[in-house]
Amino acid sequence: MHRFNLSCPPLLRTLSIAALASTLVGSAPSAAAEDKPKSSPTPAAKAGASRDWWSLKPLVKPAVPQTGNPIDAFIRAKLAEKQLQPAPEAEPRVLIRRLYFDLLGLPPKPEEVAEFERACSIGDRQSATSSLVDKLLASPHYGERWARHWLDVVHYGDTHGYDKDKPRPNAWPYRDYVIRAFNEDRPYARFIQEQVAGDVLFPSTRDGIEALGFIAAGPWDFIGHAEVPETKIDGKIARHLDRDDMVANTLQTFNSLTVGCAQCHDHKFDPIPQRDYYRLHAVFAALDRADKKYFTDAKLTARFAELEHRQRTLTAQRTALENKPKLTAGKELESLDQQIEAASKAKGGLRPEYGYHSAVSPTQVTTKWVQVDLGRSVAIDRVVLRPCYDDFNKIGAGFGFPVRFKVEASEDAQFKSGVVAIADKTAADFANPGIAPQIFKSTGATARFLRVTVTKLALRQNDYILALAEVQVFDSTGNNVALKGGVTALDSIEAAPRWRKANLTDDVAPAADNSGALAELRAKREALLAKFTDDTARAQLAALAKDMEHVAAELKQFPKPDVVYAGTVHYGGGAFSGTGPAGGKPRVIKVLHRGDVKQPKDEVIPGAPGYLTGLPGEFTLPAEHAEGERRAALARWLSSTDNSLTWRSIVNRVWQYHFGRGLVETPNDFGRMGALPTHPELLDWLAVEFRDNGGTLKQLHKLIVSSTTYRQSSSVQRAAATDSANSLLWRQNRRKLDAEAVRDATLFVAGKLDPKLGGPAFQDFIVEKPEHSPHYQYHLHDPEDPRSHRRSVYRFLVRSQTQPFMTTLDCADPSMQVGKRNESVSALQALALLNNGLMVTMSKHFAAKLDAGGGDLNAKVERAFREALSRAPSPEEKGGLTAYAQQHGLANACRVLFNLNEFAFVD
Amino acid sequence: MKPTCPARSRREFAAQLAGGFGSVALASLLEESGRAATAPAGTPPLPHHQPRAKQVIQLFMLGGASQCDTFDYKPELQQRGGKKVNFTVTGGTQASAGPLLRSPWAWQQHGQCGRWVTNALPQLATCVDDMAFLMAMNAPTSEHSAGQTMQTSGFVVPGFPTVGAWVSYALGRLTDNLPVFVALPDPVGLPWTGKAAWTNGFLPAVHQGTMLNPAAENPVPDLFAPKNSGLASAGSEHDGLALLAKLNRARLQPGDSRLEARIASYELAARMQLAVPEVLDLQGETAATKELYGFGDAKTEPLGRNCLIARRLVERGVRFVQLWCGSGLAGASGNWDNHGDITPGSDFERMCVRSDKPIAGLLKDLKARGLLNETVVLWTTEFGRTPYSQGSKGRDHNGNTFVSWMAGGGIKGGTTYGESDEFSFKAARNTTMCYDQHATLMHLLGYDHEQLFFRHNGADRRLTDVHGSVIRDLLA
Repeated sequence: MHRFNLSCPPLLRTLSIAALASTLVGSAPSAAAEDKPKSSPTPAAKAGASRDWWSLKPLVKPAVPQTGNPIDAFIRAKLAEKQLQPAPEAEPRVLIRRLYFDLLGLPPKPEEVAEFERACSIGDRQSATSSLVDKLLASPHYGERWARHWLDVVHYGDTHGYDKDKPRPNAWPYRDYVIRAFNEDRPYARFIQEQVAGDVLFPSTRDGIEALGFIAAGPWDFIGHAEVPETKIDGKIARHLDRDDMVANTLQTFNSLTVGCAQCHDHKFDPIPQRDYYRLHAVFAALDRADKKYFTDAKLTARFAELEHRQRTLTAQRTALENKPKLTAGKELESLDQQIEAASKAKGGLRPEYGYHSAVSPTQVTTKWVQVDLGRSVAIDRVVLRPCYDDFNKIGAGFGFPVRFKVEASEDAQFKSGVVAIADKTAADFANPGIAPQIFKSTGATARFLRVTVTKLALRQNDYILALAEVQVFDSTGNNVALKGGVTALDSIEAAPRWRKANLTDDVAPAADNSGALAELRAKREALLAKFTDDTARAQLAALAKDMEHVAAELKQFPKPDVVYAGTVHYGGGAFSGTGPAGGKPRVIKVLHRGDVKQPKDEVIPGAPGYLTGLPGEFTLPAEHAEGERRAALARWLSSTDNSLTWRSIVNRVWQYHFGRGLVETPNDFGRMGALPTHPELLDWLAVEFRDNGGTLKQLHKLIVSSTTYRQSSSVQRAAATDSANSLLWRQNRRKLDAEAVRDATLFVAGKLDPKLGGPAFQDFIVEKPEHSPHYQYHLHDPEDPRSHRRSVYRFLVRSQTQPFMTTLDCADPSMQVGKRNESVSALQALALLNNGLMVTMSKHFAAKLDAGGGDLNAKVERAFREALSRAPSPEEKGGLTAYAQQHGLANACRVLFNLNEFAFVD
Repeated sequence: MKPTCPARSRREFAAQLAGGFGSVALASLLEESGRAATAPAGTPPLPHHQPRAKQVIQLFMLGGASQCDTFDYKPELQQRGGKKVNFTVTGGTQASAGPLLRSPWAWQQHGQCGRWVTNALPQLATCVDDMAFLMAMNAPTSEHSAGQTMQTSGFVVPGFPTVGAWVSYALGRLTDNLPVFVALPDPVGLPWTGKAAWTNGFLPAVHQGTMLNPAAENPVPDLFAPKNSGLASAGSEHDGLALLAKLNRARLQPGDSRLEARIASYELAARMQLAVPEVLDLQGETAATKELYGFGDAKTEPLGRNCLIARRLVERGVRFVQLWCGSGLAGASGNWDNHGDITPGSDFERMCVRSDKPIAGLLKDLKARGLLNETVVLWTTEFGRTPYSQGSKGRDHNGNTFVSWMAGGGIKGGTTYGESDEFSFKAARNTTMCYDQHATLMHLLGYDHEQLFFRHNGADRRLTDVHGSVIRDLLA
């Protein structure tokens, strides 16, 4: 009855199109209405929709109808047509609050308001505004504000999403890159190029790598990649959907078109044939989302990647060689393995306090140590190391027991002087003892501290650790002097009750019953394998070991690389291997019939869409090209001066954030399903102006906010009957503050906002069960924690479990590309602003700040208004709030202020 | 039902008021202002036809409830247990199929309709004449989160609105005092995708499910100020809201309904502060009612309590209740994902016991109170399980076929639709997917699923994507 397709655009009934278009367009110019699709979408779909559409046409700079600020000229001309009068200019205190929130996302301080009002009253308002705007655009908080808008569009998040929703600890360098790019006023063309192909076009720059976080910004299906290989249907679907997200993110962000509709068939309304969509897949076909290690020196990055690749290849060769005898050993080995498994499981009454467990290391040859303070100097007779038991990865007995290590004693806690060796097992691998206690006789060491230093760790899964259940130090009378001794270590995972340093001297260790037998079995196994390893293999293994040593030695010379989660060629193993092992060669992309991975058709070559009348989508790439050349070609196409969509799209986005609505009301859709521009000439004029003047966003902001149109009042006595929605801008729009602005303003007004820039995200939740599916528990977070008092752009964005307070305030969902946020009013919002722990806590801090400022209650209430609302209270307001504060406390009065309409809106 | 006056005039009417709102108008005003701000979406259409029901309870058995051990009787499977059949394995965790596993539960026919049910669900077996079964449901995935997201939103990828959000968007609210869409997670923990399981997706945030956690200090987030804040008292809250309204009213601006809507939102919040504790206060329920839901037995009371609360929510005008049985985030034993064992004494039995009496009690109670006439009850799970064994006693995931049932307003009880193959491995005849179930649900609520859409990023999105047909055979 049904065929399942990945995700198709919904059917549109011909009946509703005209009706919808008219609803959407509103009072848009009627001339454009002729471009609407004809009655039935079907013929268009067959032929590919027409390119004759406003947004696809080349940009031509229209003549400005009047003198003065061109924005005002275009707006005024339209108003005059409809006989509408522009609203008067907003009062200075209204304007400064508007500019602060628009450009910085924060309110002005009362003294800044007073200063601006004074400057406006004594001098030229225009120049006072101009210098204020310059000051705000130069503030680092400008980048934070506008980066947040950008992160909405590219659906950036700090976790993968889907059901496991694991954290992405290295996503933030991309977020910081965006902030930096805005603050440095990166030319827009370069901003595009860096994000799509920065590694190719700007090698040797930090930005060129970190910007690639753009490609990886969206969600990633952990299970579909890490647990299902590319050869299986579910694995194919997961990788197809993953690339679809890269393609959709790129085209929707930079070109405001929805290309995803073409994955099952030619786009029904826009000129995007299915082939063009798959050509875009080919552009990203070599990539995966993964951690990318890098150095600012591109040569280092390349060499490092090469070495890591070599290391992986050598390891694979070694495994293959080691596996060969396993095959020939056959039944005998199988039986031994079964016996070993049975013996490993005979663990006896295991207590929950397993022992000490080091931090996990990606490399085996790493030095780690753990030591016991015996409390006083003791003549040591013998040291006993007790191994752990843990079923993790079916390891069982001997879990984490070091492969190479030494045992030393010293009077010096730092082990810098007077070190006496008790045992040195660093020259050769130590056979895993199972849970048998390992006894090392001392030859007369007298010391207070006993240290185990490990030079080669034990294998855990794909990583390495050191774990020990107990360290016992016996004196000559047989007394364990280490019992309850203080334990220090280079590192420790501290996951009580199982793993913690204190467990090392708690007298709890797995019983030593069958471990002798186990060791014997393991020795037999080794001998068996050796029997089946021929001399050639032995020689090969030795050579490999040597090569690996060389690689490891060179890798050791490198400084610690930086890491960013990015779109990159991935070198992995298991199900998620990526294209790296095959040299980063792009996957073959074929058109999928009906978007079904089981029905691949013709292979496609990489290319950009052909929908622009002034810019072809073909790439001219040589037959043998590196994968990055594909992205570089797309980046050039996107940033081309002839890409009319790119320039229209960005100026419209900027306009939207200044007016609450774009000149095109659908910022992510400039196709036939989107709205038509209310002021097409103004849009094109801005696009050309912006493009031809270096693509500087700061100049664009300045141009917009200096216009009379922007500076109009939003309050009017009567709404204009012919344009009650204000699409022609006869006044400024009153705008509801977004979730981040509300939160940041609350912290700021309360005097608690930490202005620190950049770095890893703060977490306003507690993570439970991180090892499986992490639970992000927001209600366990203490709103008093100063680490969380940073700007909201630095918040750790969880996709599956979004922050309830922010979500209630219509914060963008990081699973979706958000060109424009929903704006709602609800009872739950009221409850959040009244009662959320953060609001209540900040109300108290605000009150404390007011108290610290001194004066009587009247004076405090007066100041509270100025801080929160940038204005003085009316006598009634002051009386009302003072009386309330008298009865219920100043903190409750501050809560009332934080809940006022005026606090939640910018006029 | 939803007020019938057109949106524009409603909004304008409200905009003229300086204060003091009538009941339902209050919340409608909020939703209006939300819609106004997201204009491209437009306003949802009024019902397309006479509705058969006005409320919904969705019961979600998380983990993939085994159809082979509950409702899908296959004599062939019972006879040939232990034999190998060459199945083509398409999903799940195993690479190859184990031998057939006969259900260790006893099958028996029940009710007038003669529906086969095992003795794992003795109480639900007494309700079969009120239930209509979809016997050949098919899911495009055998992965938990994708399956769960599919059954709740109609898409395998995250980000799409859930059924409850669509219902909220289309039908609006029946009461001002409680949220329109309420989610009741299993007390043991949240579903696979956490709180995204009741997301509004790209619909405005007002359509998001509100999670109700009856045991918490704040059963609805931020319902009251934290107890330890030391700020809030009855007086401070009452006087604070009054002062807030006064200050806000003094600065109303003409032509901006959002400002009035925000004032109204605080009135609604105050009403919710009274209504939520009231709905959770079960003291007024009789001992007989509580017994019906399984109170007094630690095995059944946790879910019984939520089922009883679901009835009370529906009674008080909540439009859509999503009730979860099982958690994806509380370890392997907290749900219906019975890979290891489906025999008596297993987690499978525990899940059956946990839900059987409470859900049967809910159906009976709704019916006795006349609420079942106007409420659709929907029982579903992310996918089914294999007729062959995993290990010796368990079953693997199987998206090829599973069973779901519906009951209540407009549903013809005792009917079945669709049939799986001889072993219950694959849907064989009259296959349905969640699209059809959702289409049927919307039909019962008065909506044509093909005519209800919301524009998002250049596409008119539907609950049923490009699929779905109303299953007429199930309609009364």
